[in-house]
Amino acid sequence: MLRNLFLISLAAFVLTGCGQAPSQRGPCPAGKMCLELGNQSEPVSLDPHKTQGTWEDRIIGDMIMGLTQDDPAGRAVPGMATHWDVSADGKVWTFHLREAKWSDGVAVTADDFVFALRRIMDPKTASAYASLLYVIENGQAVNEGARPLAALGVRAVNAKTLEIRLSHPAPFLPELAKHHTMYPIPKHVVEKWGDDWTKPEHFVGNGAFKLISWKLGDRVVAVKNPLFYEADTVCLDQISWYPTTDSNSAQKRVKTGELDANTDIASNKIALLRQPGQMPDYVRVNTYLGTTYLAFNNHVPALKDKRVRQALSMAIDRDFITQKLLRGGQKSAYSFVPPGVANYPQPATAFWGQWPLVKRQAQARALLAAAGYGPGHPLTITIKHRNSADPMLFMPAIQADWNEIGVNARLEQNEGQIAYQSYRLRDFEVADAAWIADYNDAMSFLYLQQSATGAQNYGDYNNPRYDALLKAADNEVDGLKRAEILRKAEAIMLDDAPIAPIYFYVNKNLVSPQITGWVDNIVDWHRSRYLCRKPKA
Amino acid sequence: MGQFMIRFLFRRLWVAVPTLFLVITAAFFMMRAAPGNPFDTDRKLPAQVERNIMAKYGMDRPLGEQYLTYLGNVLQGDLGPSLKYQDKSVLDLIKEGLPTSAVIGLSALTLASLIGVLLGVMAALRQNKLIDNLAMTVAILGVCIPTFVTAPLLVLVFAAKLGWLPTAGLNGVRSLILPVTVLALPQIAIISRLTRAGMIEVLRSNYVRTARARGLPEHRIVFGHALRAAVLPLVSYLGPACAGLLTGSLVIEKIFSLPGLGKSFIIGALQRDYTVVMGVVIVYAGLILLLNLLADIIYALLDPRVKLS
Repeated sequence: MLRNLFLISLAAFVLTGCGQAPSQRGPCPAGKMCLELGNQSEPVSLDPHKTQGTWEDRIIGDMIMGLTQDDPAGRAVPGMATHWDVSADGKVWTFHLREAKWSDGVAVTADDFVFALRRIMDPKTASAYASLLYVIENGQAVNEGARPLAALGVRAVNAKTLEIRLSHPAPFLPELAKHHTMYPIPKHVVEKWGDDWTKPEHFVGNGAFKLISWKLGDRVVAVKNPLFYEADTVCLDQISWYPTTDSNSAQKRVKTGELDANTDIASNKIALLRQPGQMPDYVRVNTYLGTTYLAFNNHVPALKDKRVRQALSMAIDRDFITQKLLRGGQKSAYSFVPPGVANYPQPATAFWGQWPLVKRQAQARALLAAAGYGPGHPLTITIKHRNSADPMLFMPAIQADWNEIGVNARLEQNEGQIAYQSYRLRDFEVADAAWIADYNDAMSFLYLQQSATGAQNYGDYNNPRYDALLKAADNEVDGLKRAEILRKAEAIMLDDAPIAPIYFYVNKNLVSPQITGWVDNIVDWHRSRYLCRKPKA
Repeated sequence: MGQFMIRFLFRRLWVAVPTLFLVITAAFFMMRAAPGNPFDTDRKLPAQVERNIMAKYGMDRPLGEQYLTYLGNVLQGDLGPSLKYQDKSVLDLIKEGLPTSAVIGLSALTLASLIGVLLGVMAALRQNKLIDNLAMTVAILGVCIPTFVTAPLLVLVFAAKLGWLPTAGLNGVRSLILPVTVLALPQIAIISRLTRAGMIEVLRSNYVRTARARGLPEHRIVFGHALRAAVLPLVSYLGPACAGLLTGSLVIEKIFSLPGLGKSFIIGALQRDYTVVMGVVIVYAGLILLLNLLADIIYALLDPRVKLS
């Protein structure tokens, strides 16, 4: 009997294992072109007013289009608006909309934009991201409930003309206009279904694809929208987004062809994957709009001294962290704004940024000595940091760098959420933090150290000159002059060293060479309307 | 027996209600005692917006009031909305996740019981012989090697190298083979050891010796008489184990990208998605109570010495 059982199970195993070569990909209708995309996380919602993550906008942005849209390289180009006029003071923007339809055949009008902008600013919506639109006239007052919705600076001049009034000139508005906070939503559908409008059976969009199903933890599926205004240029018939929280497992799925791409690679795998015989033609790494930095708490007596902050920042061997530890193509940071950010041609750098490490260490020791610290009286300091993979890797290196200049550094690790909460409560000496910009503009970085920013200015940096320059930049209409003002502000801030920038993020995608139309870019947007999948060579 | 059974069931249910109530209460306050809240992220919300969100979910009320409201809602079958997955209610989440977890868990348990019992019996019959040592080595390895090691290893061999099975995802029955196997391995180990121990004890008992003396064929002694008593410890193990397997495994669901309940629970706890964690705790506690009850009934049916009381 035992032998029989063994034979039966062996036969069953062989039959399931060696049958016809199976397709391990998700189901795809015959003759159609389907994209299987690893999308890192599960979307918390498909309502653009309720989401905050890039993984959500990867889906929503394929189904809804704002006034502007991403081109293949992630630059802002006309979307629902064909063109726009800006008033002389830079504060009134008039967008002219194209003839376009929602996926249910109803025309997209300026009313849909007004409705959407009022909805996201409505205190009742409690949108976590509404503050991004405070640049719109009365935005903050409306969002805080102090003014009625009608006071918001948006108006439908007619069905095809939208006017947006700003509280100050903002040359980055076309960048912001492709952010999901400014997407239109179908007024007629949202009024009918309320918050349930994002259910697959109700969802209506104006983008290249339309939603057909969403199973939590499994996949979101969208198919080509025949009513999209440029539907004839869209190559793909269907996209499935999978939440691939485990990037190692996703990497195997890309290799076997179950997925066409995954939007993340484990940092420490990049060097290996680039080797011949691995997946060198899949690895796509590019500078990203993000900076990892240390914040110094201005309430800690030792850190009130600029010399101490400068010394600590100088002593960090950033190249060791980026080239020996992370090895994912990350760049050492000597400024807060990464290189290549829009409207910011000439970034500032710390004055010691070009010095070799030995010189920096010598200068750091001298600065500490001048501040009263030395072998007899060493500075003792605690770095509070997040326990996610990358900080766990490089924090000990910073600790060693500081020991090298005679500082006793202690490390204290915390769960990400708890770390950020204690940063906000100023319960730290040195904090490890990271910032990804919301839109491609230097201001999206620099405002963090503004004194009025409050909770997220972790170290409570406060320099009236810095604040004044940022305010001046907000009121400058000329783009180049504005960039120069921002550069000056950043230079002042880097000299004050309320933060120590460590490295600039990279976006890391694993993309099958079969996928065409994928262009690496700093904002990491790769809209599916430009992608295609060529048959295997 | 029938009357006993009804009285027994009634009494157990009577105890189950306060147990469930205690579990809900403890989980509610433990969850709230954890630092942070579901709306804490690296992005600080404007104070007014944060107040609006808190008000939207009733979290601006005193904790005691929130607790009573929650209890009231649970009694009406309303587990509330997920605080993180804003388009879904907790019930949606459970409805979507539980079937996948249950299919994988039940398959793994069935597989593990079949192989585990078989291995256990074989080992017991050939105690301290080669087959026993072999089976027990396998069992020890099965317990010692964690699933987060076996899973990637099996994926490497059967999916990446041989290409027989999918690496991950949920596309048909084939994609269940690896996760079910990985989940079954440690259970096979435990079940075979439990069966072996039970079997060895029973084979030495008087009634088996009597059966042997009366000349019954060996297979009837083993499968007809001994096994029935030998699996008793197994029955009490399987109740809670079954509840654990049905509600999903984080490791399996993460490595194989499966849409199960285990992932929702752990991620919910990390993100302080209070309502989701509470919902899964209620399902889990309910299943444990139910399956323990079932185990006790089966126990009584298998062993006439046990009275349902």
